[in-house]
Amino acid sequence: MQQPQFRIWWLAVPALGYLLIAYAAPLVYLLMRSVIRPEGVSLQLFSAFLSDDYNLRVIGNTLRIALLVTLLCLAIGYPVALALARARGIAQVLLLTAIILPLSIGVVVKAFAWQIVLRRDGAIAKFLVATGIWDEPKRLLFTEPGLVIGAANVFLPFMILPIYSVVRQIDPRLSEAGATLGASPLHRFRKIILPLTMPGLITGIAFVFSMSLSMFVIPSLLMGDRFQTLATLTGRSFLLMRNEALGSATAVVLLVLAVSVVVGSTWVSRRLMRGG
Amino acid sequence: MSDPAFLDVRSAEKRFDAARVLNGVDLAVAQGELVSLLGPSGCGKTTLLRIIAGLTSADAGSVRLDGEDIGRKPPHRRDVGVVFQSYALFPHLTVAENLAFGLKAKGAPATEIAPIVSRFLELVHMAPFADRSVKGLSGGQQQRVAVARALAVKPKLLLLDEPFSALDRKLRETMQIELRRLLRELGTTAIFVTHDQDEALILSDRIAVMNAGRIEQLDRPETIYNRPATAFALEFVGLSTRIRGTVTSYGPEGAVSIDTRFGTLSARGRFEPGSAVIVAVRPERISIGGSSGENRIAPTITDIVFQGARAQIHFETTDGLPILVEMSGALPGGLEPGAAVPLSFATADTMVYPA
Repeated sequence: MQQPQFRIWWLAVPALGYLLIAYAAPLVYLLMRSVIRPEGVSLQLFSAFLSDDYNLRVIGNTLRIALLVTLLCLAIGYPVALALARARGIAQVLLLTAIILPLSIGVVVKAFAWQIVLRRDGAIAKFLVATGIWDEPKRLLFTEPGLVIGAANVFLPFMILPIYSVVRQIDPRLSEAGATLGASPLHRFRKIILPLTMPGLITGIAFVFSMSLSMFVIPSLLMGDRFQTLATLTGRSFLLMRNEALGSATAVVLLVLAVSVVVGSTWVSRRLMRGG
Repeated sequence: MSDPAFLDVRSAEKRFDAARVLNGVDLAVAQGELVSLLGPSGCGKTTLLRIIAGLTSADAGSVRLDGEDIGRKPPHRRDVGVVFQSYALFPHLTVAENLAFGLKAKGAPATEIAPIVSRFLELVHMAPFADRSVKGLSGGQQQRVAVARALAVKPKLLLLDEPFSALDRKLRETMQIELRRLLRELGTTAIFVTHDQDEALILSDRIAVMNAGRIEQLDRPETIYNRPATAFALEFVGLSTRIRGTVTSYGPEGAVSIDTRFGTLSARGRFEPGSAVIVAVRPERISIGGSSGENRIAPTITDIVFQGARAQIHFETTDGLPILVEMSGALPGGLEPGAAVPLSFATADTMVYPA
């Protein structure tokens, strides 16, 4: 029993080797740079970073935007994933294409497109004025709602696809069985569909949340320099300010946040799977 | 079985695209009755079941249950339980939670749910598995849980869609007897969908033989077997030898004379002289020796299949018509492949259908 399991691990060697050279090594270097100071090994860099109100605001910005983007993706993506799993034939192909094709368009291009859409005379402002929700056209570009809308658009497929892959494996008879046992559609959703899609839901949330935490291009183009997240601040520190100490600190804080999200969500989904 | 129409389905019709799946089906089931819908795949039996449960909407017709029109109600308000072919147990719940699902959905308090769940687990002998996940259960155990889950909410009517098709033969027979006893004990009104005639004969008070979207005959199992109403019912339930012929004249006492390749046969029925018909006889109604019946044939034995309590003897006439005879008890001497043996059957044991 042990033998084949041990051997199958070798399949992971190329990926592990690649990650070691391209990812782990630079990361370790970065981590060491952030704790090995001229005066010796110390966490002084982080305590200084975290005691600055501006930096705390940046962390707050990062978490808030990532949370809002994730929630928006969830609200839009979950129903789409359900519809996609129930769709048949050409409708399913079209839906899948519509979800996957935009991934082939670069993020920079998409961000510029959203700049146009979010302008004061952009499509969204016109629509909201025409439907009477807004009294007069307003600019969404360079505002947080604009950033959340634009980022959600880019990350939406990463919410839909993991949920879809779980939903399509759910036997439609389960919901019918629930109905014949007297459960209303809402009860069926809460007690059958939702628990069974939870693993996909958590994967999607982990994807979108960690990607929104670390996004750089989208906030740069949709918010500009006055609004900083950990990722944009890291970029600025290295590229503009030439402040490697600050850059290392922001990068490490960002890393810790992202890792806790991934580990936390994996833990939650494993618990749910075992509970089921 | 007081109310003759506890469940009353009238002129149910359904088409999927161009295909007519149900062609105006009427079905009345009394309270406490066990009825089978028996037919080949594609005959519309599962569609009829789904229409009664509210899982598929009928194009026309009405469904009444216990005096109430349920045709427009959604499935969760119908009080009609279903045991699915795949069982459709909730994989994220334990055995006991599966049973409790319907009771919780209907808002029963927890103090009431627990005793009901234990009682039904006892009834299907699954009490030791209460806290197990349903994923590790065998096919037979899953079937018991599915039945108990459907019965726990006390539905007015229980529908079972090929409930035994996933089980191996030995287990199937035990489970059929067990289920029949359980449903009788609880006084449940139930409809089975099956393509297996033995299952229908074991389980039902009455059998509805379905073909091409219609019910061809709805009767007690003995009547279906002994007096099939149509040639399809004859072919689908039990074995028979069938001989084509043409009616030549009316005979005495409701009989007709039929001209066949084996000479004139006398058979029971009323057909105009000149009509093309099929004469059929059940294998156990043909006797070897050729003295007891009005009709005589002398074919050759091709094969003898010994089946324990019974033996099937396959004959063939000189022009290639197969004839099947079934005997119980000891076989008379001289029966072996190649032997020509005279057979006979009585007019009273024949069945005639238009060809």
